Amino acid sequence: MDPAVEGWREILAPQVVDLTLLAAFMALAMVSFFRKSVALKYVTFAAAVGYLGFTKSSLVSVSDVFRLTDLSVPEFKYSLAWYLFMLFVVATTVLWGRVYCGRVCAFGALTQLLDPIVPRKMRLEIPVRVEQHANRIKYGVLAGVLAYFLITKDVAGPIRYAEPFWMFGLFGSPAMWIGLVVLLAATVFVRNLYCRFLCPVGAALGLISQVTTVFRIKRWSECSTCKICEKTCEWGAIRGPLIVKSECVRCDDCERLYMDQKKCPHWLILFRRKGNTAVPVSNPSL
Amino acid sequence: MSHVQKVAALVCSICFGVAVAAAADRIFTTPNPAVELKRLFPNAVSFSPLAGEPLHFKAYAADPKTNPSAPTLGVAFWTTDLVPQEHGYHGPIHILVGIDNTGVLTGVVVTYNSEPYGYFSVEPPKFALQFKGKKVSDPFRVGGDVDAVSRASISISSAARAIRDSARIVARQLLPEAGK
Repeated sequence: MDPAVEGWREILAPQVVDLTLLAAFMALAMVSFFRKSVALKYVTFAAAVGYLGFTKSSLVSVSDVFRLTDLSVPEFKYSLAWYLFMLFVVATTVLWGRVYCGRVCAFGALTQLLDPIVPRKMRLEIPVRVEQHANRIKYGVLAGVLAYFLITKDVAGPIRYAEPFWMFGLFGSPAMWIGLVVLLAATVFVRNLYCRFLCPVGAALGLISQVTTVFRIKRWSECSTCKICEKTCEWGAIRGPLIVKSECVRCDDCERLYMDQKKCPHWLILFRRKGNTAVPVSNPSL
Repeated sequence: MSHVQKVAALVCSICFGVAVAAAADRIFTTPNPAVELKRLFPNAVSFSPLAGEPLHFKAYAADPKTNPSAPTLGVAFWTTDLVPQEHGYHGPIHILVGIDNTGVLTGVVVTYNSEPYGYFSVEPPKFALQFKGKKVSDPFRVGGDVDAVSRASISISSAARAIRDSARIVARQLLPEAGK
């Protein structure tokens, strides 16, 4: 076969399976996001771990951040799925924030699947002040590995030791496995430890969402005094009336609370003022 | 069961099925790659079954059933049989390599890889083509005599290493002519 005369059929045929499964996954992730459905979110987690994780190891890696520095991208026609995946990640981040971290990343999905499994009593609640400082560690990690890459041009080191995503290929040195076991053991006690405090990819996406985020989470005027959502947020992304965009992964927890007419003070106050107990049918546009 | 639960159960079982199928694909190479063998040795009349130590196919210039002293053109082998520890980013890359009696590669065919999107971006057909005509004593260095398309990705480096190391093992153990 002469590469000079290959038609679109020869180019597309080996990529059809990847493209179809990726498109199906993206559709699932977006439907679960727009419907704010807990059940569909867990289905998305399972698909992310099973397909993007253990089947394909297709996670955004810090090596993809390195590509920004030397613009070494894969050949377009042979890597359509890669371009589609990156477009999806960047577009969702620009539009809504770290949606990728919250439901697409296979490692994030894996640690979030621990939530319904690990008993609440075992979880350590990190003091807010500690959390606010720990949040910044990931930017340090990002700066560190970027500097390391620019000096040494070594990609293999960072993807083995600065991120645990190699685990989905089930192949690592003893040192890497020991590091992973320590990380996962710590994640049992500190929820989403890696995503919140350490992940350089999350830091890069956090920087993008801090600047852009077109469609923000709407809040009520009551949110400046009420602390329900702030306490519920498992990502430490709510500080008083503010949502810290670089920390928010659009998990929907607070958005579901805003709509809950039995829990959210916005509705409780509204009903009391009106002096009736009937539930209004109008739906807040969130 | 609610509608959502049914959908959830269905999707989970599909995911599980895909994962199992993918795992099987990832481990097993086909024992009779007739089409690929023919591409590596277009002049061969027949091939032996996969056998020997190390595991290989023999390419015959004449049918060994009618002519017991049929000369061989060379051997073909799976890199995954020879260097099973060699690993791309996600997993083993299945490569069938043909090598003639003098230690020159007649070609390579990549039949399977599960690398992340974009990692094996030279897959069809440029990556494989460049190995045809290489000698086992060549360096096989990515960025040197092997093209580094868009930075030497882990997958490309691993595939080049797998071809080199397995070809050298085969040449040393099966092809006494190759060293001369």
